[in-house]
Amino acid sequence: MRPLGFAGDVAVRARGLAKRYDGIVALDGVDFDVRTGQCFGFLGPNGAGKTTTMKMIYGLAAVQDGTLEVLGRDISRERRAVKARLGVVPQEDNLDRELTVRENLLVQAGYFGIGSEEAERRVAELLEFSLLAGRSDAMVRQLSGGMRRRLLIARALVNEPELVVLDEPTTGLDPQARQTLWHTLDRLRDQGVTLLLTTHYMEEAARLCDRLVILDLGRIVAEGSPDELIARYGQPHLEAVFLHLTGHELDR
Amino acid sequence: MTGALSLPSLPAALRVWRRNLRVFSKIWRGALLPLFFDPLFYLVAMGFGLGTYIAHINGVPYREFIAPGLCASAVMWAASFEMAWNAFFKMEETRLYDSILATPIEVEDLVTGELLWAGTRAVIYGTTFLIVISAFGLVESGWAAAMPPFLLLGGLCFATIGLAYTSLIPKMDYFTFYFTLFITPMFLFGGIFFPYDKLPEWAQVVAWFTPLYHLVLVCRELATGPDAAAVAGNAAWLAVLTALLFSVPVVALRRRLVA
Repeated sequence: MRPLGFAGDVAVRARGLAKRYDGIVALDGVDFDVRTGQCFGFLGPNGAGKTTTMKMIYGLAAVQDGTLEVLGRDISRERRAVKARLGVVPQEDNLDRELTVRENLLVQAGYFGIGSEEAERRVAELLEFSLLAGRSDAMVRQLSGGMRRRLLIARALVNEPELVVLDEPTTGLDPQARQTLWHTLDRLRDQGVTLLLTTHYMEEAARLCDRLVILDLGRIVAEGSPDELIARYGQPHLEAVFLHLTGHELDR
Repeated sequence: MTGALSLPSLPAALRVWRRNLRVFSKIWRGALLPLFFDPLFYLVAMGFGLGTYIAHINGVPYREFIAPGLCASAVMWAASFEMAWNAFFKMEETRLYDSILATPIEVEDLVTGELLWAGTRAVIYGTTFLIVISAFGLVESGWAAAMPPFLLLGGLCFATIGLAYTSLIPKMDYFTFYFTLFITPMFLFGGIFFPYDKLPEWAQVVAWFTPLYHLVLVCRELATGPDAAAVAGNAAWLAVLTALLFSVPVVALRRRLVA
């Protein structure tokens, strides 16, 4: 699974990452390393800078200050090459509503320049993997929320990415759909794919993440494995750590 | 940040084009009909209605005078609709552009693919209408068969103007201005329904600055037996404007979607 041309064991390296939008500080000097093969979580209240960080990694937000290396390359200079090896599951559903489930995957393969025979093979595989084989000719609007999320994940895997970025992948899903999604992510990690995710659910972070950072007001306020953080701050569970570190939110 | 002048990758642009072709291949029956009836109704109302009273313009029967211009306007409407509402929808509502830009496709490729598609769609409409007017016997010269590449050029020009506008406006409501103050006046005053050579000079100058005027002249020349220099001159005007404006949607969409 380890790709050619990528020797390092750090999938994402950020140093002094900073960004302002119209004078508002979105990110204020952030450093982190995501190791290859890990599931790495970004936690933080709304507006903490999670989505901005994700978008920088997948090329939909420009790096303003600092450096960001993704899969061993500088994202600001080699965006096209980096994006070829990434999978992206955005926060908002941006599936192609004018196409069927199967066509969404086929057209996505097309965007990556994957030949049609290979694309057909991968699409058939992904439809099975995401439990959507029975709905392959349905239009996107006919799918349930959980199915759409699974299709978004399947779409992100068409190019066999080394790193998958997931921005709040389970927000708005019912418990069953969330469980199914967690299993999907487990399987990906077992295959050696690096996962990067943001979430508001502490039990999800504790369940999935090897390491995580807690962001607040554009800065990292804590970093470690879920157990380390619980031990370090003497709290009963991750949610208590989170509230302890970002508690000022309650005063707003 | 990559420079504003990065050249598009044609293979990447064609992937976007192919996506649009796939969607169009499902909806073409419903999509083709309204935009096709539109110029047909004008042809009947003006050409066969008004044309009963205005027999000839510059020695050409009135119907034959306006018919090629309606090919040009079919191109204008098709490219403009595609790059106005359809593009805005993909940019702001379904966020399809975001999903495309998260693949190896960059903004300049996306813009090129969208423009090529709008141009293609414009050619489909313009050529369909050309076949109709030929069937009505309103085309005099065999040179009309050379029209499609010029319709593509015109389509690309209107597509570029349209996407430039779309990429700059904050809300869909602004399309009212685009169509009422720009597209419809061009349709009425672009030289489809009356010639400019006997009008005051200032009117000719104003017309010269509008793209439809040049596309109408190209189509009319080709349909009535062309003056090669006039065709080349008007086509060059369209090509230059298209090239000059190309970077506007690229820069604006980059600012809007990947800033």
